[in-house]
Amino acid sequence: MAVPAAVDLVDLALKATTAYQRPDLGLRLQHTRKRLADPAVRVLIVGEFKQGKSQLVNALVNAPVCPVDDDISTSVPTVVKHGETPAVSIVRDHGPDDERPPERTEVPIGRLAEFVSEAGNPDNRAKLSYAEVSLPRKLLAGGLVLVDTPGVGGLGSAHGAATMSVLPSADAVLLVSDAAQEYTAPEMEFLGAAMKLCPNVACVVTKTDLYPHWRRIVELDAGHLERAGVKADILPISSTLRLHAAQTQDAALMEESGFKELIAFLLNRVVARADDLDRRSTAQDVLDVCEQLATTMKSELTAQEDPERAEALVADLTSAKTRADALRQRSARWQTTLNDGVADLIADIDYDLRDRLRAIARDAEQLLEDADPADIWDQFAEWMHQQVSTAASANFVWTAERARYLAGQVAEHFAEGAEIALPTLRFEDTVGTMGGRVGALEQPVDEKFGIGQKLFTGMRGGYGGLLMIGLATSIAGLTLLNPISIGAGLLFGGKTVRDERKRLKQRRQAESKNAVRRHIDEVTFQVSKDSRDMLRRIQRDLRDHFTVLAEEVSTSLATSVAAAQSAVKTDTNERESRIRDLRAELTRIEALGERAKQLAAQAGQVTTGKQA
Amino acid sequence: MSAPTMGQAPPLGSTVRVLLRHTMEAYSDSPQALGWLRHHLERFDEPLRVAIAGKVKAGKSTLLNALVGEEIAPTDAGECTRVVTWYQDGHVPKVLMYPKAAQPRPLTIHRNRGALAFDLQGTPTDQVDRLVVDWPSQNLRSQTLIDTPGIASLSGDTSMRAGAFLTPDDAPTPADAVIYLMRHLHATDVRFLESFYDQGVAKATPVNTIAVLSRADEIGVGRLDALTSARRIARRYRSDEKIRGLCQTVVAVAGLLAQTGRTMRQDEFAALVALAELPRADMDGLLLSVDRFVRGEGVELAHPDTDARARLIERFGLFGVRLGVTLVRQGINDPTRVAEELVRRSGLEDLRTVLATQFTERRDLLKSRSALLAVEMVLQREPRPAAAALSAEVEKILAGAHEFVELRMLSALRAGAVKLPTDAIEEAERLLGGDGGSAAARLGLDPGIHPEDLRRAALEAATRWKRRAESPLSSRNTADAARIVVRSCEGMLASLHRY
Repeated sequence: MAVPAAVDLVDLALKATTAYQRPDLGLRLQHTRKRLADPAVRVLIVGEFKQGKSQLVNALVNAPVCPVDDDISTSVPTVVKHGETPAVSIVRDHGPDDERPPERTEVPIGRLAEFVSEAGNPDNRAKLSYAEVSLPRKLLAGGLVLVDTPGVGGLGSAHGAATMSVLPSADAVLLVSDAAQEYTAPEMEFLGAAMKLCPNVACVVTKTDLYPHWRRIVELDAGHLERAGVKADILPISSTLRLHAAQTQDAALMEESGFKELIAFLLNRVVARADDLDRRSTAQDVLDVCEQLATTMKSELTAQEDPERAEALVADLTSAKTRADALRQRSARWQTTLNDGVADLIADIDYDLRDRLRAIARDAEQLLEDADPADIWDQFAEWMHQQVSTAASANFVWTAERARYLAGQVAEHFAEGAEIALPTLRFEDTVGTMGGRVGALEQPVDEKFGIGQKLFTGMRGGYGGLLMIGLATSIAGLTLLNPISIGAGLLFGGKTVRDERKRLKQRRQAESKNAVRRHIDEVTFQVSKDSRDMLRRIQRDLRDHFTVLAEEVSTSLATSVAAAQSAVKTDTNERESRIRDLRAELTRIEALGERAKQLAAQAGQVTTGKQA
Repeated sequence: MSAPTMGQAPPLGSTVRVLLRHTMEAYSDSPQALGWLRHHLERFDEPLRVAIAGKVKAGKSTLLNALVGEEIAPTDAGECTRVVTWYQDGHVPKVLMYPKAAQPRPLTIHRNRGALAFDLQGTPTDQVDRLVVDWPSQNLRSQTLIDTPGIASLSGDTSMRAGAFLTPDDAPTPADAVIYLMRHLHATDVRFLESFYDQGVAKATPVNTIAVLSRADEIGVGRLDALTSARRIARRYRSDEKIRGLCQTVVAVAGLLAQTGRTMRQDEFAALVALAELPRADMDGLLLSVDRFVRGEGVELAHPDTDARARLIERFGLFGVRLGVTLVRQGINDPTRVAEELVRRSGLEDLRTVLATQFTERRDLLKSRSALLAVEMVLQREPRPAAAALSAEVEKILAGAHEFVELRMLSALRAGAVKLPTDAIEEAERLLGGDGGSAAARLGLDPGIHPEDLRRAALEAATRWKRRAESPLSSRNTADAARIVVRSCEGMLASLHRY
């Protein structure tokens, strides 16, 4: 939620920067303000298909927003968020290189199923990015945004890769699996990868109303999580009971549905945590600004009160400024760490990707070697697509992890020991389309070994055989076309067909292998370009963030130097009143800083208070 | 013998047997090859081996119990079957454990609430190759059922054991046919079905696989129309090109319902009757969730008591209880009829019919196929001069036997390789034996029909397809397909002549 106290505080601090003529500091606060204005806390609801993800969203908002069906599954992500009036719109993003804003179309509420389910929009043929539903709900008013995703169908599927690529931008993930069975290997694999991108995960076990052994399943799942070293809550729920309870206003039933715990998780551990983060980062920003404003005033004050020491003070400040300026230089340690780190990272990621893809190419060639491409092509293309998607998402997870680590390193080197706010890294802009980018493998145009051709080549050889034996036997007084010679003709014909078939098969194999190599090349090129772009963008973001910080500090110190120097020239009377003024100003700024500290302290209290 | 015999041509089974014997002669000096071939010759006379495969918790053991009609395979809420277990007909109940590196040894039989409990006597599961259970049962006489561990299991080696059994890398699979269970079609299901494809014989023919949409009662969170819904889904899968290319057909079965229906006890019926007497509102409240049902939420209920209710829900599932109570309410007051109705609605009969037409009637073909795979492997592994002639013989059988031609055509039709109107494709598939090998099934007629009518229908079909084969407008593909269909019709006519 946009924490009102935080917004007020930023507004106040903004006024202060205008009053003290520090627009450079104001810029940073304006960014903070903008971040606070977008209160969305995104919760991704993921899992295999037909586990009850859409029904879970419906039960949470107590309205049939996401289409639920026995057979047909969801094909397009549905975003459910707060709005004054219920409304549905479908959104189509343009390509990543296209700067136009996404295309948005309002649709009647009842017709959502036509756009987001496999029935109305199979394989998302309409190329929608997502559908957006606004509902007036108290639960959502705090900025909670629920995202119902298509079933992942394993890490290797295109949906899996697409889901993976939006995970870094989520605040929390609900992994949905029904109580029919314990976790399967693909589910655990997915969970493991997801945890690396978004650590705030809860495991929801659905349909507890239907399965007598749901408690056993929850126990087994807990065991699997523990063995995998995953720390996540397991929340058993029943959407049916919750919907029924909401209808009949039955408190006991509501208790039994398990939704209380789920909602508590969403409010206390997801929304509250996001709010805390807002509070802390806002407080940090405001404190920073206060400190820099205070530095200028304090140095002037010191100079005014004790003019003899002014010179030493100016020297101190100047040397501090030199240090701050040094931070802005390209030779600064953090800059080197950043540049080297990104270069290393690009090389590593590229190597990792190539290595994975090379292994796939090797397997693929072996597969093609062992069979006739004409027979296995469809399955082969599917297999290939899965393998490549898996490789791309594994590579992406690793990239994200390493990039995050690098950012931490840079921050550490920027100010050893000092607490520096990390800028939010932009993963989501670049890779939302990664799953889709890995295109399907194209079948090479090959010489179709049709029945017609088979017959024609067979005729050629068969004709010769027919004549030969026909001639030999006719000497024994038989007619040219007798049953024996027809049989022999078939045999000879069979042999030629086999030879021709073999030749064509070899050719098909060679062509398919070429196609595989071309495809792998294409994928390597595309994916490594994408991850390189992403890393470059991260590099730019980090550099800008820290350079601005260094500039702010430098400007503060420069004004401090100027203030300390000008102080010496003023006469005694003016000096007295100036000292009074400065003291008063400083008190005001200290009060502002105090408020920021209170806000930060509040953050911790709220969470611990609610958890207890 | 399923497919009609072609005039005077010897049945496929005996041709393959002769081939097996010839190969044994050629390899009489290689004990390994000889043992392997002899094993396959013996296998020819054994019941058909049907493996039940699928992902973890797809309901494999439950379905096996339903097919046998007794609760013999152990079932559990967690993952349960961890060793490949064979259930075959025998005079006395007996369990043999085949460890990987030791002689088979008998295990004592325990029963745990009806189901068998296997005590491996401390042998780790990865050291056990298989368990073989001899069980006197009418239902095991025509087929040996093989329970396999789940695929995509979290205990990786369990999955591997199933994989090694069903799609071994080094040898043809020990099963003649597979029932593949799935809850919903997943990527892993497709991958598995694909890997079950055999490489050599009847290439890429899903001839020996039937897919089952299992746990059908849980679809639509156990609503009363769940099974209708499940059948609709099965129908959709059946018409899905990708799935048609992977298995013969897809049927929906509620395994738990079928198992319980076939093994229902008097006290369970009494409990259903007692529940049916409750006011409807109370009953609806109870059946909101399994927990409420067991606790007896808001209802004074002395009989059945909590324990009995817990057992009841375990055996019937929420859907089964709902259905059972509804049936009693509708006035069915005879336990046998309730049980029959449960089985009927579970879709088990559909599955048994499909098993009969697809597997039992094709027994000879499936067995021949397994045997040819075995011979082919021997010929490839130990090439020698005498093998060339045998190779030619294998190829001749594959190319010549009309049964295999039919199979290949069937899969080509299903894969959409031949362009024909939809109804013509359906007819061609039927005539080629897609719905069953008997003449009546091929002609889509009642099994009890008079042979003369059958003959007339077959003649008509033959004429119709001959016209298609000879039409100058037909493409080469179509004409070839039509000729094969004509050949099938002629085969039928030849077999009908004897009447």
